[in-house]
Amino acid sequence: MSAWLPLAACVPLVAGALVPAVGRRRPQLAQGCALAASGWTVLATARLTRRLFMEGPFSYAMGGWAAPWGIELRFDAWSAASLFIALIMLAVLVYSGPYARAAIEPRRLPWYYSLLLLNLGGMVGFACAGDLFNLFVFMELVSVSSYALVAVGGGRIAALAAFKYLLAGAVSSVLVLFSVGVLHALTGSLNMADVALRLAAVESRGPVVLALAGLSAGFMLKAALFPVHLWLPDAHAAAPCPVSAVLSGLVVKVGIIGLLRTNAVFAGVDGLPMAAFGQVLAWLGALAIVAGALFALFQQDIKLMLAYSTVSNIGYIVLGLGLANHAALTGAGIHVLNHAIIKATLFLAVGAIIHQTGSRTLRELRGVGRMMPWSALAVSIGALSVAGLPPTAGFLGKWYIALGAFAAGQPGFAAVLLLGALLIFAYYIRILNAFYFRAPVDDNMRSVHEAPLPMLLPVLFLAALCILGGLFGRWPVALVAPAVERLAGGG
Amino acid sequence: MKRLLAAMVVAAAAIPMFAGVAGLPAPGDAGAPAHTRVAARYVEAGVRETGAQNLVTGVLLNYRAYDTFGEVMVIFAALAAVSAVLSRGPPARRPAEARPQVETSPVVAFVIRLTAPFIAIFGVMVILKGHLAPGGGFQGGVILGALLVLLSVVTGRGLERPLLSAPAARWLQAAGPLAFAVVGLFGLACAGTLLGYPAGPGADMLRAAMMLMLELGIGIGGAAIILWLFLQMRGE
Amino acid sequence: MGAALQNLDYFAFVILFCIGLHTLVARPNLLKKLLGLNIMETAVFAFIVTSGMVDGGAAPIVDGTVTGPFASPLPQALILTGIVVAVSISALALALIIEIYRQCGTIEADELKGVG
Repeated sequence: MSAWLPLAACVPLVAGALVPAVGRRRPQLAQGCALAASGWTVLATARLTRRLFMEGPFSYAMGGWAAPWGIELRFDAWSAASLFIALIMLAVLVYSGPYARAAIEPRRLPWYYSLLLLNLGGMVGFACAGDLFNLFVFMELVSVSSYALVAVGGGRIAALAAFKYLLAGAVSSVLVLFSVGVLHALTGSLNMADVALRLAAVESRGPVVLALAGLSAGFMLKAALFPVHLWLPDAHAAAPCPVSAVLSGLVVKVGIIGLLRTNAVFAGVDGLPMAAFGQVLAWLGALAIVAGALFALFQQDIKLMLAYSTVSNIGYIVLGLGLANHAALTGAGIHVLNHAIIKATLFLAVGAIIHQTGSRTLRELRGVGRMMPWSALAVSIGALSVAGLPPTAGFLGKWYIALGAFAAGQPGFAAVLLLGALLIFAYYIRILNAFYFRAPVDDNMRSVHEAPLPMLLPVLFLAALCILGGLFGRWPVALVAPAVERLAGGG
Repeated sequence: MKRLLAAMVVAAAAIPMFAGVAGLPAPGDAGAPAHTRVAARYVEAGVRETGAQNLVTGVLLNYRAYDTFGEVMVIFAALAAVSAVLSRGPPARRPAEARPQVETSPVVAFVIRLTAPFIAIFGVMVILKGHLAPGGGFQGGVILGALLVLLSVVTGRGLERPLLSAPAARWLQAAGPLAFAVVGLFGLACAGTLLGYPAGPGADMLRAAMMLMLELGIGIGGAAIILWLFLQMRGE
Repeated sequence: MGAALQNLDYFAFVILFCIGLHTLVARPNLLKKLLGLNIMETAVFAFIVTSGMVDGGAAPIVDGTVTGPFASPLPQALILTGIVVAVSISALALALIIEIYRQCGTIEADELKGVG
């Protein structure tokens, strides 16, 4: 049995454990190690995705013990997100060279790279998990590294934001663990496919509904769905910019993927109020779209703006999940991937601007479009993508979700989608207006020049992906299609 | 208003939990799925298949070894996290902080130095006996870690001159993940799957050795991590 | 209702969970919030272990001296991992509290509201 599947997660993890030992004296070694491990993960996940396209979903039994006695790893369409995770993390690691040297204390640098690798390995392991408790363990790995990464830059705001994030995340983890415990008490097993089979035979509905509610509430909290999104804006805005890219683009999607995977376990049980649950999700998603966009509109700090934009976009994804028909689920799945790329582009580009100018507010950043043309261009591309203009990557996901709203007979949601897009467009117009069409407030802007190459290249690469993702949109659609079939067909 | 909100949150959690938990199979019922589905095989075949009389160790290090690997990575992540949050610049750059020096009574110091070897032996014994009796890598590692913390307090050696020198400590902290990497790859080589164990007669010694290596890695790594967590939190 | 009374153990753990949740939500002191979190986690661990117990059963150590029913080793392995995870979170939370205290001079949430 080829061991690429477990090694895709294990290599970055073990590398993350070795980085502090290796890079103790020289942080360049730490970054080099991290780049190597991350590059390896890109190759491994690409290989696995290729195998997925050719053969369909496949599994790996850890230690040779078949499920449910051992832990099963499963690579299906949702697991293919791990390729995007690895790519974005590689871009972030390349970008981190100059950025982290300036923004993070030298003693903390090896730990910074270690935490990023642990985060990467945790997310890849999470995406490939076929076992409920294994899912929990890797989710915790992602969470612990994320909390610390928020605070790694130092400062009181970051420490406070990290603590709030930790409390919210730990509560959601406890809810998830409790629900896993309930499912184990009901079925005696921890393997997701096995539990799904056995749940159908359980007589009493109460504990099943409890487990569903616990898992859903836990993952909704992790995904920062309105109204439990309160931890997100401060955390994502206070973190160093490369970390914000990882958090907004990737870690928040862990909640979404968790929601998808665990809800699939309950698919075979009848008598569950799934339709009502879907409606609740759709409404919460719609609220998130509007609330996130409105909050973003009134921010002066550009990073807070981007963070609220993430809240809004999670709303789109959850709206698609709630509508639960073929088109809406396709849209949600595509948007999970596309938003990751878009948000990473935006945070990294904005980070380059902050790195070079030292300012974070729109007022102080006026006129930067002329001094840093490439970074501002990347922000523009990202802005157009988030607003959902064709042919950028953000358009397809929203289009499919709108189609799904019509197909479900709820065109009101499509109107909300449009409203959200207009609001998003309004605040990105503010940003672009400030960058290009306003005069600088003081002379400091004149001495600003473009970001160094290691920062610029990943930004431009991701910006190019924003456009390519829109032009070649049928590939993500084809990627998520089989998983959507299973989900939409079943429920 | 705040009290009302807190009460509402707790009620929102309590009501579904009570209602749901009431429908669970009774605890202690031997016919419940928790005992018949997966656990039955662990109980019947566990000693034969894993070689560990302590079935919990068998589950932790053999059947569900991947979870234990994740756990080892989580505790390393805790170390990375605490170090990332609390590490300060080199001492030369910071003014000498007036830290209140806690005087350790000579009686306390003497007693701890006297009992330290016995505690250490106990810790190692707990690690090694995990196979056969309650115990294991984490449990013994915590005992050793606590001992190291005690000795640090008593000898007054903080981050400038830690009990474990910084380079050695970094490698020891990675002992857990390294042990899993070595054993996992070895299992891949001789049993065909990552973290697999060789089967068949004559493999008993090999299996026991592999488990022992994992236990030691977990224990030593855990002890080094706990010491370092304490030193980081204590500051200079 | 009579059948539900069999699950008295579980009810006790739910009550413990709610005590922890209330502490986390209602207390302004950050350290107390962390303690509330720990109580919640402990309640969940106790719940999971209890689900693996057998009436009149023995600890899952098969050394040939006990032949009766054994408690399930699976939940015990699960909570061992869970405890380590909880310790990791607590360690990081404490480090953050230390850093917050260094930076802000207080760890009461009311006083910290004005910061940042």
